Amino acid sequence: MLRIEIDATKCMGSGNCSFWASGTFDLGDDGVAFVKDPAGDPEDKVILAGQGCPTQAIAIWRDDERIV
Amino acid sequence: MTQVTRAHADWDPMAQFVADPNDVRDPHAELARRRRELPVAIRPAGARIDGFEVYRYDDCASVLRDNETFSSESIRVSMADFMGKYPLVGMDEPVHRRLRSLVAQAFRQKTLAHFEDDLVVPVVDEMIDGFAARGQAELVREMTYRYPVQVIAVILGLPKDDYEQFHRWASAIISVAGRPMEGMQAAAELRAYLERVLEDRRANPHDDLITELATVELDGERLDDEEIFSFLQLLLPAGAETTYRATGNLLFGLLSNPAQLDALRADRSLLVAAVEEAIRWEPPLLITSRVAVRDAEVAGTAIPAGAQVIPNIGSANRDETRWDHAEEFDLFRESKPVISFGVGPHMCLGMHLARMEMRAAVNRLLDRCPNLRFDADAVERDDVHIHGETFRSPTMLPVLFDAA
Repeated sequence: MLRIEIDATKCMGSGNCSFWASGTFDLGDDGVAFVKDPAGDPEDKVILAGQGCPTQAIAIWRDDERIV
Repeated sequence: MTQVTRAHADWDPMAQFVADPNDVRDPHAELARRRRELPVAIRPAGARIDGFEVYRYDDCASVLRDNETFSSESIRVSMADFMGKYPLVGMDEPVHRRLRSLVAQAFRQKTLAHFEDDLVVPVVDEMIDGFAARGQAELVREMTYRYPVQVIAVILGLPKDDYEQFHRWASAIISVAGRPMEGMQAAAELRAYLERVLEDRRANPHDDLITELATVELDGERLDDEEIFSFLQLLLPAGAETTYRATGNLLFGLLSNPAQLDALRADRSLLVAAVEEAIRWEPPLLITSRVAVRDAEVAGTAIPAGAQVIPNIGSANRDETRWDHAEEFDLFRESKPVISFGVGPHMCLGMHLARMEMRAAVNRLLDRCPNLRFDADAVERDDVHIHGETFRSPTMLPVLFDAA
């Protein structure tokens, strides 16, 4: 199981994460991304979304290991 | 212009368009060599933009993400004469973030869902109406060139009678590098026109982008008129030329690979991957630029403060350490983020709109033009190819299909 954190001060609301993993990420009305369901997509999609974040606002851990 | 097209439009939208004067057919072989041998190189003397060019994916991404070292301000300065005072693409923090947050609301995927059915598909359909009965078309002139400008006009809520004038301004503005005086004159006329539209929308709000920009509010902040005009003026070079070329490259990739086109025809869920692959394989714009605000280093090369740094997106997208058989168009490849929309705080605001426009165009073409394929004789006769060094797109897209 992945643990996902979004740094709201870094997020600029590109919507890139919800493009790659729309079951997991969404944009709030404030334009900041949030996790709506940490298990909403296959893990590889969630990792791609994290790696693709233009401002590196997404951190992902598997168990205790940070993978993004 | 072909005889056939003339019968359908008495005005040639491309007449004013100044294409990249260098008919560079294949920059990719040389880019591949540089990626291997010299990951950062001073651009050759005589290149239109001077500076340190960066070729590998990870290095390009690092430059674009590090906006504190690599500033976008030089883009603002070079565009200020025709793009207004505050083009988002050329702003640094913290002003960039404030402006972007305000305009971003109009470009979210959720907002776009309604754009697609209500605004974009009707534009595509009207263009296809122009040639569906004929069984053949030249899609650059009859569709891709006009399409994104038309979408912008519709999203802005401009009256239909003004579309042709809007196209003329758009062509002149995106050709500004080739014909600066015409481009600047068009920008001034467009600005005066938009001032009248904005004034009208403040008095009579519509359901359109100009009204939204006039009324949008975030944390008590609003856009002032100058900021609105700068944004509207940026829409044409940012959203029209790139999307026109990207749509052409997508169609070229599919039409040159009939087995992939057949697969897509049968399974439209492949469209998302097809769009990503097209913008990886042949991004419409190959380079962007930044200026180092302090001494820096990229891939072991010292970059002095004040030097221009040019990430070559077209090269980064074919980095063979990231993609297998990177030179080929293959919509079945494992998907991973490309750098075509940039990355970092300036990552393209319009990327969801651009992707949606590309999907809508191909989807409707496949729906309405059965058996769509390259006109092989015309391709050979006219030596059809993708060309360009800074911007890239097909010279033509002659197609055949079963007439409606």
